[in-house]
Amino acid sequence: MSLSATTAPPSPAAPPPPDAASRRRRGYLLNHLDLKYSPYLYIAPFFLIFGSFGLYPMLRTAWMSLHDWDMIGDHSFIGIDNYTRLLSDEYFWNALVNTFGIFALSTIPQLLLALFLANLLNRTLLRAKTFFRMAIFIPNVVSVAAVAIVFGMLFQREFGLINWLLSFVGIDQVDWDGQRWSSWTAIASMVNWRWTGYNTLILLAGMQAIPKDLYEAAAIDGAGPWRQFWRITLPMVRPTLIFVVILSTIGGMQLFTEPLLFGNGRILGGNQREFQTLAMYMYEMGIENLNSAGYGAAVAWAIFVIIVLMSLLNFVLVRRSAK
Amino acid sequence: MISASQRLWRTSPLTYIALVLAALLSIYPFYYMVVIGTRTLDSINDVPPPLTPGGAFGDNFDRVLANDAANFVTGLINSIIVSSVVTVSVVLTGSLAGFAFAKLRFRGRNILLLAIIVTMMIPTQMGLIPLWGMMQTLGWYDTLYAVTVPFLVSAFGVFMMRQYASQAISDELIEAGRVDGASTFRIYWNIVLPALRPAAAVLGLLTFMETWNSFLWPYAILTPENPTLQVSLSFLSYAYYTDYSQVFAATAVGTLPLVVVFILFGRQIIGGIMEGAVKS
Amino acid sequence: MSLTTRRTRMAAAALAAITAVGGLAACGKDDDTPAEGEKPAKLVVDTFGEMGYDELVKQYEQQTGIKVELRKTAQLGEYRPKLVRYLATGKGAADVTALEEGILNEFKANPRNWADLTPLVADHSTEYLPWKWELGKAPDGRLIGLPTDVGSLAVCYRKDLFEAAGLPTDRDQVSALWPDWNGFHEAGRKYKQGSGGKAFIDSVTAVSNGVLFQQGSDLFYDKENNIIADTSPAVKAAWETATSMVDISAKTATWSPEWSGGFKQGTFAATFCPSWMLGIVADNSGEANKGKWDVAAVPGGGGNWGGSWLAVPEQSKYPKEAAKLAEFLTNATSQVEAFKAKGPLPTNLEALKNEAFLSYTNEYFSGAPTGKIFGESVSKIEPVHLGPKHQAVKENALEPALRSFENGQASKAKAWEQFVKDAGIQGAF
Repeated sequence: MSLSATTAPPSPAAPPPPDAASRRRRGYLLNHLDLKYSPYLYIAPFFLIFGSFGLYPMLRTAWMSLHDWDMIGDHSFIGIDNYTRLLSDEYFWNALVNTFGIFALSTIPQLLLALFLANLLNRTLLRAKTFFRMAIFIPNVVSVAAVAIVFGMLFQREFGLINWLLSFVGIDQVDWDGQRWSSWTAIASMVNWRWTGYNTLILLAGMQAIPKDLYEAAAIDGAGPWRQFWRITLPMVRPTLIFVVILSTIGGMQLFTEPLLFGNGRILGGNQREFQTLAMYMYEMGIENLNSAGYGAAVAWAIFVIIVLMSLLNFVLVRRSAK
Repeated sequence: MISASQRLWRTSPLTYIALVLAALLSIYPFYYMVVIGTRTLDSINDVPPPLTPGGAFGDNFDRVLANDAANFVTGLINSIIVSSVVTVSVVLTGSLAGFAFAKLRFRGRNILLLAIIVTMMIPTQMGLIPLWGMMQTLGWYDTLYAVTVPFLVSAFGVFMMRQYASQAISDELIEAGRVDGASTFRIYWNIVLPALRPAAAVLGLLTFMETWNSFLWPYAILTPENPTLQVSLSFLSYAYYTDYSQVFAATAVGTLPLVVVFILFGRQIIGGIMEGAVKS
Repeated sequence: MSLTTRRTRMAAAALAAITAVGGLAACGKDDDTPAEGEKPAKLVVDTFGEMGYDELVKQYEQQTGIKVELRKTAQLGEYRPKLVRYLATGKGAADVTALEEGILNEFKANPRNWADLTPLVADHSTEYLPWKWELGKAPDGRLIGLPTDVGSLAVCYRKDLFEAAGLPTDRDQVSALWPDWNGFHEAGRKYKQGSGGKAFIDSVTAVSNGVLFQQGSDLFYDKENNIIADTSPAVKAAWETATSMVDISAKTATWSPEWSGGFKQGTFAATFCPSWMLGIVADNSGEANKGKWDVAAVPGGGGNWGGSWLAVPEQSKYPKEAAKLAEFLTNATSQVEAFKAKGPLPTNLEALKNEAFLSYTNEYFSGAPTGKIFGESVSKIEPVHLGPKHQAVKENALEPALRSFENGQASKAKAWEQFVKDAGIQGAF
């Protein structure tokens, strides 16, 4: 399921069936038309529905981004002004930093942990394998909204479980939504909780595809478990790892619900916008403020471009790793 | 004497400790939901926080059912309808298109596939306002159409099925079908779809979960009169104060169907996810 | 040709599938335009917070046979974006829509979104507080809103906590503690000492809301709608008074879970109560705390926080009937009923003189004569000009800056800088 497959040449399609003498002319014609045109029919539902409900709104957003657009009033064409304004908008860059910060906090530990857990689960003699796999995956079943409510309570200042636990090691009440680092940590912990198990299983699958004789050969050469992990496992799961990074990137750049609910639904994301993400800023400008819908649309396109750029970077890495 | 490979893969108690810890951490917030949902409202702000379930679930859930603002039961039924319809559609359209991309030859195939992958990168909130306007024009505001029709297809679904089909179905199988004079649709229906069943199960379950849990769009387009489950949950705390034990009792009940589905089909989901990755 | 047939068949199948899905959507909206004079089957009313309309709506249904659907949204912050979407797309708005003073001007800026009520209702221009009536008019002279309530201020306080801390509990004695804000601060310090360091008020933003509207002068905008946030004396006064009270604040942001939990926990002993807040205080505190709260006068005398109008969106299919409903909900009798139910304070002069209103005592608040207390304070309200994006500046510039300071995230000077900068951004229109 790696994105690398997209750049791989398509597998050869079935050659047309042998023109058996027994077939009548009409049958051949039908067959020919079927082969030539039916694929378009099969992919048509996707493009029809996506075109109407996905593409059209997106193009409309692009159109809006070129205007000074008041949601309940007038609009006028202003060209790329919204985009130039973006470049010098301190709060846009703030949101960008927050998004990347939370992304880093929720991707790096998550991947390390997932690698570690996958490595543990990869032991052949492990008992209760299915139980552990399912237990680790279960957070992915719970909705983001529910996760946000639960974590919101866990991270409460006065009555929260986490502050209560911290009080035992002598740490004073932490005001989790009051500082940049603490709010990032709290939000990242929600993301980590929900996705670590999912990524663990994907990595585990990658690990299981590694031929066992590689390890045996290494063992005979006297390499210990750690050495084997560094020398064999890690290089071999690299494509899977990058696939996981791409998925996390797409999700991380669009992060919205977790920080929003963490901040009691306030779109600013903290008193000083400590955890306002790009998607939240887009929402603030495009939806909350009546008169800056065009600017919000520009933010939306900026997010899209950032995701595409980061995915391209990943494609390059995939290619490199494939060599 | 144990062989090299066995020595390599032996599991120490430390492994189990680490895994049990991870499993506990995974399950804990879920358990916490149950704890709060079964406690009285007064006890949840206690210090230290409560750690075990209480006996107030019945009371809490009665309040959920009595909460006119939320229409919990309607929400539950709507979610079942919407999630089922979307799931069936995504699996069918996904496998049909995936089959075409993987096994049929047609002009523009690669560029169209690339287009599908790019669509996965579009921020979902981006088209909110225009889409909202479209729904109003269609007269779909506050109807289940609005939360169903736009999601009947999924780029991820097409892509996943394409990946699976290209590996799991041999060209010989399809050729054999052709020799028998079957049309491509017959081949899809009789040969491809059955072969795609494991991947279809995974896609179906992931789609079901995602649709069940989606919030932002349903919240924007539906009213408390006719909500989905997640929207209904958000209206439970509609007033200026939040009755957490009520919210959590409802959330636990709302998550329960997914957990049941997951436990029943869990092996297949997990197998499927791993299948997908192995094929990379 | 067979290909066409197949395609047609596929299309038909797809259509059937979509129609089948459609059959599941139970509650569609009928888009039929009504014939002239036809009675509407249903009117929709959009409100936020607690406007006390539940019973009134039932009465109206009985009187007229028109079904009324009351859609409530908790917070203005959620209510406003929905309203924006309704207006932006020209569909989905309720027939009668409540507009709060903080967002009124923003919506008045595009008066063509709203029906002119003048030809639709009788002339009520002399029946309401004059300034309140005037604010319901758009710049172009159209009457777009009928007055509902004003948010005349008082202080809600916990008698039991006051007693435990050695403060007086009688509402007159309590009012006498704070003729001005210094007195209030002093009482707060005494409470803190007497209670072993507990906080007195919920937050400094609550104080700022109290002071802000007492000044009777321009707030974030001048009369020409220029942003004057950095020079406005009223804003400066609110800022100084609010920031000075950080030592007695519980630092629970209004509407946050800590705040709503705080009412039960006794995290703070007093908060500022515009009359519409009474219902919210009662809901948050719960049945167990009935009779523990009481109501006293606000320091500095008078002041107004909040208050609304009922408007009819241009897109309503039944503007005439909607206007009639709005007229009903804002008449003297209804305003008294709403006040008794949830606390919003009448603006109708007759309602304010009504015996049932003046003699009303609130059981939950220890039998406080809230009718008398709030009724007297109405006359002291000095109307202030709010400007087009008042709510956005208050919520997204002033209050975050105050909280930054309150939580020790920024020095007072830095927080002020933050406010001035954000006021410029949020206030632009």
